[in-house]
Amino acid sequence: MPKINLRGVEKNYGANAANAVADLDLEIGDGEFMCLLGPSGCGKTTTLRMIAGLEHLTAGEIRVGPRVVDSVVEGVFVPPEKREMGLVFQSYALWPHLTIERNTDFGLRLRNMPKAEREQRVDKVMKTLGIEKYRDRYPSQLSGGQQQRVALARMLAVNPEVLLLDEPLSNLDAALRLEMRAELKRLHNEFKTTIVFVTHDQWEAMTLATTIAVMSEGQLQQVGTPNDIYDRPANRFVAQFVGNPPINIVELGNAKSEISARAGAFLGERYAELREAGSIGIRPESIRLASEAAEVPEGAFSGQAEVTGILPTGGSWIIELTRAGEKLFMTTHQSPEIEVGEAVAYWAKPKALHVFDTKGDRLEAADRLLRPGKMH
Amino acid sequence: MRPLKGSLAAPTRGQRLRYRLKVALREPTTTIGFLAAALFAYLIVVPIISMLSDAARVQFGDERRIKQDVGELTWYYIERVFTSRVSRDLFWEPLVNTLSVAVGAIALSMLVGGTLAWLLSRTDMFGRRWFSTALIVPYMLPAWTFALAWTTLFKNRTVGGQPGWMESLGFSPPDWLSYGQLPVTIILALHYSPFVILLFGNALRRFDSQLEDSARILGASRLTVARKIIMPLMRPSLISAMVLIFAKCLGEFGVPYVLGLPVNFDVLATSLYQNIASRQVGVGAVLAGSIMLIGIITITIDAKLMKEARRFVTIGSKGSMNRLSPLGIMRLPATGFAVLMFLLSVGLPIATLFLSTIMRVPAQFNLDNFTLEYWIGTDLNTIALQTGILLSPDLWNAAWNSLRIVGVASVTSGILGLLVGYVVVRTPVKPLGTFLRQVTFLPYLVPGIAFAAAYLSLFAVPRGPIPALYGTTLILMLALIADQMPYASRAGIAAMMQLGKDPEEAAQIAGAGWFRRMTSIVIPIQKGSLTTGILLPFISGIKGLSLFVVLAVPSTDVLTTYSLRLVDYHYTQAANAVVLIIAGLAYFGALLGQKLTKTNLAQGLGN
Repeated sequence: MPKINLRGVEKNYGANAANAVADLDLEIGDGEFMCLLGPSGCGKTTTLRMIAGLEHLTAGEIRVGPRVVDSVVEGVFVPPEKREMGLVFQSYALWPHLTIERNTDFGLRLRNMPKAEREQRVDKVMKTLGIEKYRDRYPSQLSGGQQQRVALARMLAVNPEVLLLDEPLSNLDAALRLEMRAELKRLHNEFKTTIVFVTHDQWEAMTLATTIAVMSEGQLQQVGTPNDIYDRPANRFVAQFVGNPPINIVELGNAKSEISARAGAFLGERYAELREAGSIGIRPESIRLASEAAEVPEGAFSGQAEVTGILPTGGSWIIELTRAGEKLFMTTHQSPEIEVGEAVAYWAKPKALHVFDTKGDRLEAADRLLRPGKMH
Repeated sequence: MRPLKGSLAAPTRGQRLRYRLKVALREPTTTIGFLAAALFAYLIVVPIISMLSDAARVQFGDERRIKQDVGELTWYYIERVFTSRVSRDLFWEPLVNTLSVAVGAIALSMLVGGTLAWLLSRTDMFGRRWFSTALIVPYMLPAWTFALAWTTLFKNRTVGGQPGWMESLGFSPPDWLSYGQLPVTIILALHYSPFVILLFGNALRRFDSQLEDSARILGASRLTVARKIIMPLMRPSLISAMVLIFAKCLGEFGVPYVLGLPVNFDVLATSLYQNIASRQVGVGAVLAGSIMLIGIITITIDAKLMKEARRFVTIGSKGSMNRLSPLGIMRLPATGFAVLMFLLSVGLPIATLFLSTIMRVPAQFNLDNFTLEYWIGTDLNTIALQTGILLSPDLWNAAWNSLRIVGVASVTSGILGLLVGYVVVRTPVKPLGTFLRQVTFLPYLVPGIAFAAAYLSLFAVPRGPIPALYGTTLILMLALIADQMPYASRAGIAAMMQLGKDPEEAAQIAGAGWFRRMTSIVIPIQKGSLTTGILLPFISGIKGLSLFVVLAVPSTDVLTTYSLRLVDYHYTQAANAVVLIIAGLAYFGALLGQKLTKTNLAQGLGN
């Protein structure tokens, strides 16, 4: 049964403003770890705040379990304090005038929990997050990572059925972020809470989520597992937003471009149905090099190019290939035994090609032809 | 999970409205906002309208002269003020005087304050820390402290009573030095130069040296840098200092009253006061309206200029650097200049006033001329005040009134200010927030003395269920609250903006309702700014004169009006003693505030 259900949710600030969120339908299942992923300004935080009740709707409805918590048509609005959710803010929003302990037990005191039980709960959650030794300190005396844990502890203490996280890791340094990511995953497994996590960091979304919802300009682009999103991006936006270095996009039908002509010919020769395709995408790691054309496997998409840049990234390399002014980027984990200026042959397997129509949507027909064995 | 296909039907207009109403009225914020809006409409808007309508209606007692019935519409007062034979004395000359004093004070304070600001914030002058507090002190003292000190020194035979020190020493200062434009201009300049030091100094301190360096590296000379880079970026702060000083000069009553009266040097504020004192309600209303209009025009121009200037406010970036210019051999003379300004604006007036209270005859520095009897004596040979000032029950009465009236008003306006800030920042009904912000700002445009006139107009007679309040302490409190609302609400809004939504939303998510969030999150966090919000109005209220001089009667005398009464009676020593007490209260109040809130309160005084 879905835990949270958004139907036709719309939000705009002011009559003439563009929709911050437009006609959003989304289900978040019980116990799921859902990431809302997108560039800044795409409406993901607004969506999260609407789920929390901190932002009201312009149209649509939100249910939590069987209960309607927000509906414009029915005139229902359950205030945030009655929604029994947890929300960790990007700024942590710890109460500066309360100690860590009082920050953590604030919600329990509100619920009039008996003292003994309350202390036990607070002890447990503080221990889990490793902040028990700071209990008498004030938030300003803690580091960013510690504050972040307190913000989490404060919400976990009341044992919410839904935990909302608004870019909680974005203010942490890289090492701490990695640690907290692992911690979040562990907490999700331990508490079995439904988590909705907002981030603009695709890496974070890929590593944490059970499901990712990609948003752009207020519109939902794709919902799927991390692998789905990466392997079968629903459109060019998703393909380009997810993946680093970003996917190579080759526009088809550009007579001046040799790569474009080659790609068009490659598709056209083999698959007549794909002549109306608008562009193809090739992930950098799908591109391979061959020192001469003869080494390219049979049936692969291939071409000639010059190596114009080799960028070591520590353990892997990004290689820039140029052909008649156009660039392709590829990555490799093996030390490339080539030099800048060398002429090479590049190739990619047909099933590594993502084909999009002229509007930028994924051509499902292409998948059937290029990836015959794969289940969808 | 796949998205569900087939969305809901779009809500109708009615449904949207119902939903939004539900969201808006769910919490008391909006209700409180509407109550506050009604309160301020009554305390601020209604008095002003009432006063303006007085200007266009025949007032009681003028029926014969105007040949119309009381309450009928008339142009009489407007003509009298602007075009009649007396208009020169009533309006035009005071207007010219007001403007020339204001312009002179601005120019002088820019020169002095600007130099000091630069010395304090961008050079290696000695004792900068100490001076940065010491040079602000003039603003903590009531302006007419200086006026009294000036008369103590320069009073000549034009007026009776004790002669000034100069006169006693055998020099007879001419009238132009003793009274009128010159002393008023100098005193206002000294009193308001702290504004320039604070506003201009802050801007200079925030100014990023790297902007200067970039221009230098590109080959600009020092002068070019000053002209093309520094001055344009400093303009907003200079403009706001100028506007602030102008607005303050416009409403300044005490200084021109003490120093202008002997030579009939009238400014708009004193002209208004005299008309109110002689019950010329209609003429007073026209004058008050004119002062208000000038105030509004000034602020509008300021807003326009600031809007333009704000386009390039990029100063205060992260890599901000503040490098001090070495003064070299000028280091000592520069410090000397700062010392001189401190002596002139604080040391000399205070010392003069104090010495004058312990001397029988002015400027006779013999030991037997010194006495404490004006403070604690019992058998003074005077008619009305036969004991030393500290033994006079009138003083204690006035002090108690001051503390009570100003205290209640400050606490009330501080709390109201925070509440207004809360509503403005939080209410989903945006027009309500806008209205509250604007209505509480309105008194800022109305100089205190005009505002007092408005209160007099509304509350002098019973209206509906509200009895006549003139002569009560309540009218003083209400007027003071309304008068302080611009500062209080601005402080409240700023504090609430700074707090941001997050801490409160976090409490909301944790399950706290509105009342709980107020008591355990918002107010505890805002404790500091609430203290400042109460203390600042308290200090300015204690030394405030223009509201009280119109609205107080002898039984509701406060310290300031009491001292002015003593000035009128020529009890120089007693008057000076009371002024010193006020100055002490204001100064130590400010100090206490700094201790309590651990902030530099002087910087807040500029707001």
